[in-house]
Amino acid sequence: MTPRKVLSDARSQAVLLLAPALVIYLVFAIYPMIDVVILSFQKWNGLDPHRQFVGTVNYSDIFTKDPVFWGAFRNTVIWTILSVIFPPIIGLALALGLNQPIFGRNTLRAVYYLPVIIAPIAVATMWRWMYDPFFGLFGEVLGMLGLQSWNQDWLGNRNIALYSAFVAHLWQSVGFSMVLFLAGLQGVNKTLIEAARIDGAGRWNVFRHVTMPALKTTITIVLVLSIISSLKAFDIVYGLTGGGPAQSTQMLALWAFTQSMQIFDFGRGSAISVVLLLITLAVVVPYLRWSQKREEFQ
Amino acid sequence: MTSFLNAVRISAMAGTLMLAPSLVSAETITLWTLNFSSQAANDAFQKIADDFAAANPGSKVEIVTRGTDDHKTALRVAAGSDKGPDIYFSWAGLGLGGEYIKAGLSLPLDKYYAEYKWDDELIPAALSFSKIYPGGRQGVPSSFKGEAIYYNKALFAKAGITELPKNYDELVADAEKLKAAGIPAITFGGTVNWHVMRLMDVILESKCGAEKHDALMDMKLDWSTEACAVESFAELDKWSKNYILSPFMGIDNAQSFNLFVAGRAAMVLEGDWLVQQLSEAGNLDDYDIFPFPTGTNRLYGFAEYNYVSTKSKNPDLAAKFLDYFISTPVQQEVLGKFSPTSINKNVVYKDLRPLDQKWVDIFNTYSQVYMNGDQAFPLDVTTEYFRVINEVASGNMAPAEAAKQLQTFIGNRG
Repeated sequence: MTPRKVLSDARSQAVLLLAPALVIYLVFAIYPMIDVVILSFQKWNGLDPHRQFVGTVNYSDIFTKDPVFWGAFRNTVIWTILSVIFPPIIGLALALGLNQPIFGRNTLRAVYYLPVIIAPIAVATMWRWMYDPFFGLFGEVLGMLGLQSWNQDWLGNRNIALYSAFVAHLWQSVGFSMVLFLAGLQGVNKTLIEAARIDGAGRWNVFRHVTMPALKTTITIVLVLSIISSLKAFDIVYGLTGGGPAQSTQMLALWAFTQSMQIFDFGRGSAISVVLLLITLAVVVPYLRWSQKREEFQ
Repeated sequence: MTSFLNAVRISAMAGTLMLAPSLVSAETITLWTLNFSSQAANDAFQKIADDFAAANPGSKVEIVTRGTDDHKTALRVAAGSDKGPDIYFSWAGLGLGGEYIKAGLSLPLDKYYAEYKWDDELIPAALSFSKIYPGGRQGVPSSFKGEAIYYNKALFAKAGITELPKNYDELVADAEKLKAAGIPAITFGGTVNWHVMRLMDVILESKCGAEKHDALMDMKLDWSTEACAVESFAELDKWSKNYILSPFMGIDNAQSFNLFVAGRAAMVLEGDWLVQQLSEAGNLDDYDIFPFPTGTNRLYGFAEYNYVSTKSKNPDLAAKFLDYFISTPVQQEVLGKFSPTSINKNVVYKDLRPLDQKWVDIFNTYSQVYMNGDQAFPLDVTTEYFRVINEVASGNMAPAEAAKQLQTFIGNRG
């Protein structure tokens, strides 16, 4: 086969186009992943030239001896549950509102989406100052309203710190769900909506029986993406609380980082990462299989 | 023949051009250190680097500053690679600084100590840390840091405190007087774990005494069965419930400092570096200092060192810079910028600010030092130490349980 024929062949073209990305993916994603799995069975402090094989010790240590791991696991689960409830619901509400022909619609869409493009660490800095119990915005506003007693140590009280951090995350992430729902709403068949209205369906019934079924795919995508991003929640918690107070806002991803890059126990850090990877795969694999089937069906 | 000669000339020129950057870089050394606490310190350090470069044509000192945690991480990454700084800052002692030495990141400096006669120039107590490692002398002291109680004189007077406390019980009694006067006794920032840790460290020294405190930090005594350890956690609990400006777990050390300067709390447990910060932020006459009255005749503090890295391509130039840095004229010129006292014993103190003079007196009074917990413990134990301290300080863990959990963690390390 001549070079020209190779280039004109669709399959060859696909290989040629995918090859550079595939090489980068193998080097920067797959290889580190494999290395992390290997490292999770080794003991290494990042300084010694040799890594020592220790079998499953790192796993048994994080499950039985680590005083923080299960707290981080619980926090990650709470964060994930909150992430699949609040950002999608608020995002959908915003999308429904901003899908109406209202004045300043495009500006409002940009305003709600703006936090998404801000670096999470910058968001964390901003919110940390707002949460300052002495000089922060929330304390000041509550004071002005005569509700000073409601002011809290938002990030220092272990009972509310995780939720305070989540509110900051919610502020940042809701715009992303909104955009996906807005895109989904553009695909809702207007003829069906009009037909339903002619048949006497009210707003709620149109939403319940026409809009929502049409958004089924979008809802699935939003939920899966929310789960994946919440499982790897790191930067905003790191910036707001660093996992404190007393590790009460610690998350699995942040704890893996802390073990590896601050305590320099790369074996334990990798074991935590592998646990996180397995949880993520448990969500992603069914989603991929579902989307594949859907493509085949279509 | 002409074309051959031209080719040779071009090759030679190209070679020279290619060599030029490497000649320049051969005389450039990089120094990694922490962010400076004040602009004056920042400027002073840069000036030292610039003056050294001016005195040594062709050489250049590039200063890279980072936050504490970032600096530690950067050093770890450097240790695992074939590149890194020529000189790096770290603390003295077997904890944080010792780990890098153990890993081979620090170059033994015996020949430079002999060549530059640093032993004749530096304070023996500061130098002593360079000798505690096997395999030769490591690093050159850059400063001695002491930590003590800074207090707001007006707030002490308002609470009716006329004499400084001579022991721990008197300090608690004064804290009680402040509380009765409606004044929070002390301020800490809980988001940076090491800030509240300082209170635990000094309480341990007070309640356990020097020997037991050292043994606990060396993990040679059982925290759960040692009564003074449990008692120390109980004291920490008492301070956090009664005397620390609340809330404090959600603020950091900088916010805590601002609250102290704003007169919201009477005391702060800080290092000698705070004099310059206080000077920049307020009126120094409003404040005074006293060492935490532990009763052990040891000062709370630590030494800081600059180490020549084994990654350095220019160890001779690095050592030369360190010699310049610690030299009497340079140390005399920067006196008070980094610290009120110098590690150079030939420096003459004159026209010191009253608080700086206090520090000089304190350093002259104490011959022994007890170190910060995060420099005494290995990193994993430090993290657990932080956790149990914060749990107690937040009122979420009983003192006995904290001691037990810390000991369990230490025991599990094997």
